Amino acid sequence: MAVQKSIERAGKPFWQKEGFQAYLFMIPTLIGFPLLCAYPMIYSLYCAFCDWDGVNSPVWAGLKNFKYLFTVDPIFLKSLKVTFLYALINVPVTLILGLALAVLLNKKLSGIKIFRVIYYLPTIVPGVAAIVLWQFIFKSDIGLLNGLLRQLGFSGVGWLTDERVVLLSLSIIKWWSVGGMMMVFLSGLQSVPAELYEAAALDGANGWKQFRYVSMPMITPVLFLQLITGLIGCMQAFEEAQIMTLGGPNYASHFINYDIYTTAFTNQKYGRACAESWVLFLIIMVLTMIIFRKSESYVYYEND
Amino acid sequence: MGKKKKQTISTTLRYILILLFCIPMIFPLLWMFTTALKDNAAVFKVPPQIIPKEFHWENFTKGVAKLNFGRQFMISMGVSVISCIGQVCSCMSVGYALARLKFKGKKLWFYLIIGSMMIPGMVTVIPVFRFWTKIGAYGTLWPMIIPAFLGAPFQTFLARQFMTTIPKAYDDAARIDGANRLQILTRIIAPMSKPLMTVIAIQSFQGAWNNYMTPLLYVISKPEKWPLSLGIGRMTSSTYGTQWNLFMAADILYLLPVLIIFFFCQDYFMEGLGSMNNTGVK
Repeated sequence: MAVQKSIERAGKPFWQKEGFQAYLFMIPTLIGFPLLCAYPMIYSLYCAFCDWDGVNSPVWAGLKNFKYLFTVDPIFLKSLKVTFLYALINVPVTLILGLALAVLLNKKLSGIKIFRVIYYLPTIVPGVAAIVLWQFIFKSDIGLLNGLLRQLGFSGVGWLTDERVVLLSLSIIKWWSVGGMMMVFLSGLQSVPAELYEAAALDGANGWKQFRYVSMPMITPVLFLQLITGLIGCMQAFEEAQIMTLGGPNYASHFINYDIYTTAFTNQKYGRACAESWVLFLIIMVLTMIIFRKSESYVYYEND
Repeated sequence: MGKKKKQTISTTLRYILILLFCIPMIFPLLWMFTTALKDNAAVFKVPPQIIPKEFHWENFTKGVAKLNFGRQFMISMGVSVISCIGQVCSCMSVGYALARLKFKGKKLWFYLIIGSMMIPGMVTVIPVFRFWTKIGAYGTLWPMIIPAFLGAPFQTFLARQFMTTIPKAYDDAARIDGANRLQILTRIIAPMSKPLMTVIAIQSFQGAWNNYMTPLLYVISKPEKWPLSLGIGRMTSSTYGTQWNLFMAADILYLLPVLIIFFFCQDYFMEGLGSMNNTGVK
């Protein structure tokens, strides 16, 4: 068999060989990966150490960009702080809310499918459409929220104009579309074998105990995945700032991604923007690594 | 008997909670819809009118006329459909090679594709922007379309995972019948991968339809080439004034295609999410 195979292999012209043909199927990646990933990564790392206005070629400047960002730039550190705060609010809230809603809907009741669709509906709305809608709801004069508040006898809130509130307002948009996360948790909960619950019930574990000691450990891989994707998502908030607030008021919603965008495409400081993007990348990498490290202690994998 | 009563109470409680959470989920959408039907005076009414006194359906046609909607809609549709085709083809092709063919460097390419999912978009945006500008693609929609033909990492990964579950015996049988590898992919593997292809198609259509960043970078200076995402995103800060009823009408029309696809392919939406941990929602 092996001999026959090797004869077969030797006799074929190269274009009929599996190894060659496989590379033909790989062509999209063979072009796409270098063009859209490898080269841009290397080039932006190089430019992070350069002065570059986008017109002339980049000029090597050593650590100048990084020094500027961390010692002179009044906005960069603020944007880091804002982004962290945004992630710190949103990652836990969306995880808990998503899981709670999934638990709520994880029951065979009549009409439950319709409710799942309703909860999932806001996730379908394209980001831009949702932002425009909420921009209207947050309006301080004619917006729905302030209208309701005034009805109840409170004074209106400057949802997008008060720098203490704006991050909360943007978070509300995120909470609204928690349905996607809920669906992932739901599919995680439903893949927990029913025998486990039965066994737990025999041992006298009731609702909360079943959830705490059966469901929770079984869905930790999903939780872990959602934690990482949620964190990466929050660190890259952009459209909200670009469309709704322009980073304001007083840079209170000036996310780091928006700062990179303005540094590069408004102020033409491409080198500095590259440096910022690498700082962001490193932060995300370090955070992901920490979560991975910690995960060994609480994530339960069935196959292990 | 007591146990049954307890169960009824807990079910009722659950229903109440479910209904309670429905309000914040559905109300903004409802508000969007009713605002779109109001006349301009009713929009500024304090307190806000939840249900308008009269329905102004003509807001939809007015909004369409005002925002150059038709043209932007066609551009968005064209770009999204082409991206969708490109992404299905490229991801199927790469996924097939990674799942079913033997070649040198397979593992390496697989890990490179997975690794590239971790990279934040902003890191690559500037050099990619420089590249497209250098080859004269600034001010065109090519930077949106071409990448779709070069395989998206996540969808390629999905394709690879799906195709590894199809038994190899199909390939062998087809080879004995004289089929080449392209024929195996298009005639045998692809028909068996319809759910996968639907998920990829939906995700890539949605991705292109929702994409705001790329058109913002490449065609912001050319309003005649704006897709809908850019048109809708820019309308509130533009010179159209503050006709929120028209804005909301346009916003509804913008999200309508995605909504229609969702109602026809609900299971595939959920499947796409379920694929993150190998199961769907029952």
